[in-house]
Amino acid sequence: MKQDTEADVRTDTAIKIGALFFIALIVLAFTTDPIATGTREGDRAPPLEGMMYNGSGWSAFDLNDYLTPSWVDNDSSAPWVVVEFMDTDCPYCVRAAEEMGQFSNYFMKYQGEDGTPPSSTNPPAWRGPLVNFIASATQLDIKGHDTSRDEIEGFRDKTGGESCASTSCSERPGTIHQFPYIDDIDQENMDAWRVGGTPEYFILQPDGIVAWVASQHDETLSDALFRLTEELVE
Amino acid sequence: MNPNLLLLLYVVPMVIGLLFMTSIGASMGRSLSSRYEWMNIERRRHMFGLNLVLLVGFAISVHTAWIGNKISEGASVCASASLFSCDDVIGNPLYNTDPFFGIPWGMLGMITFAGLLFLSNSVSREPDALWAEQHVNFGFYITSAGLAVIALLISYEIEMEKICQYCTTAHAANIVALFGFWKVRKMHEAGTWNDDLTESVASN
Repeated sequence: MKQDTEADVRTDTAIKIGALFFIALIVLAFTTDPIATGTREGDRAPPLEGMMYNGSGWSAFDLNDYLTPSWVDNDSSAPWVVVEFMDTDCPYCVRAAEEMGQFSNYFMKYQGEDGTPPSSTNPPAWRGPLVNFIASATQLDIKGHDTSRDEIEGFRDKTGGESCASTSCSERPGTIHQFPYIDDIDQENMDAWRVGGTPEYFILQPDGIVAWVASQHDETLSDALFRLTEELVE
Repeated sequence: MNPNLLLLLYVVPMVIGLLFMTSIGASMGRSLSSRYEWMNIERRRHMFGLNLVLLVGFAISVHTAWIGNKISEGASVCASASLFSCDDVIGNPLYNTDPFFGIPWGMLGMITFAGLLFLSNSVSREPDALWAEQHVNFGFYITSAGLAVIALLISYEIEMEKICQYCTTAHAANIVALFGFWKVRKMHEAGTWNDDLTESVASN
């Protein structure tokens, strides 16, 4: 009887190598539980890096410094993170600046309009976990949008002669912001986070998992924070 | 277990595989021939070395994929403040997948080395088949194309100023396999492919 023995060897080898590959996949499937990196809820947030302005000067920023990788669900001691993507020349961002100042002072446990730190005699009103606010200031590709580090400083501190969305940055609504602003004029972070327009807000769990994306909900940032941290309020 | 120490489990068999493909392999084969007669035959020795290297490449690719998955969970596997920190390289979402399909590099390594193992294994088992030369050529071309991928990944490492020692070992496995497939082609051309001929040459 005629037989194609050469084909047998190839089939037999393919089955053996296929089995080896399958075993490797099984091992990966049973020993790991990977989480995709991205900006959908449940994803691990992409890197957020750059130079940040915190009111006193520019220094290196890395989101990882704000995260607690070993966080467990019921741990209220680890800080949450709010990331705002904004453009100092975006009128919606200018309008939202007042609310952002109020929210950040409240959830970052500052007191009063000027952002005075809390004390034993003046405890914070917010009894939940600390929420760190971070703004990533970009420059959208829109005519008339021309951002600079001076303008970012002016927007945050309400100072200087820079113009934010056709009005003086010093006249934008709200108080001085207490949270850092990252220079993302080159849109690197914005691209990595797939942000289509500003303002856009993300709430990150302490372990860096995206818990809420503003563009996917109708609720406000503060309502989302209250809801997400409900069980962690003392 | 120290991740660098663990790496030796891959490096040692890869070096042994490489030695079997070189002239040192001949003396190694002679000393082992009393127990394994086939070690006297150059082609068999060479294909054994090549299969071993490719198996190491496959295994380390699986390990790299596993590290990538673990890092995505938030775990730290081989993070280090030094130059050698595979966590920083494999865990960087900007660089840890291929730019076309978004497949993790570890998984791509698994697929590639599994394909190479199929080519090499089938040739080992049926060296005189009509398709054997074609398989060897495919292996040579795939591992040659791997050089471009290695160059891309090294450029990422330079940009990150970090080196992933596991990835580097997988790169080394590809380069050694390229040498292996190249030498198999040469053996074909030089007529040292046939078992009997090689044995008679060896006995002279």
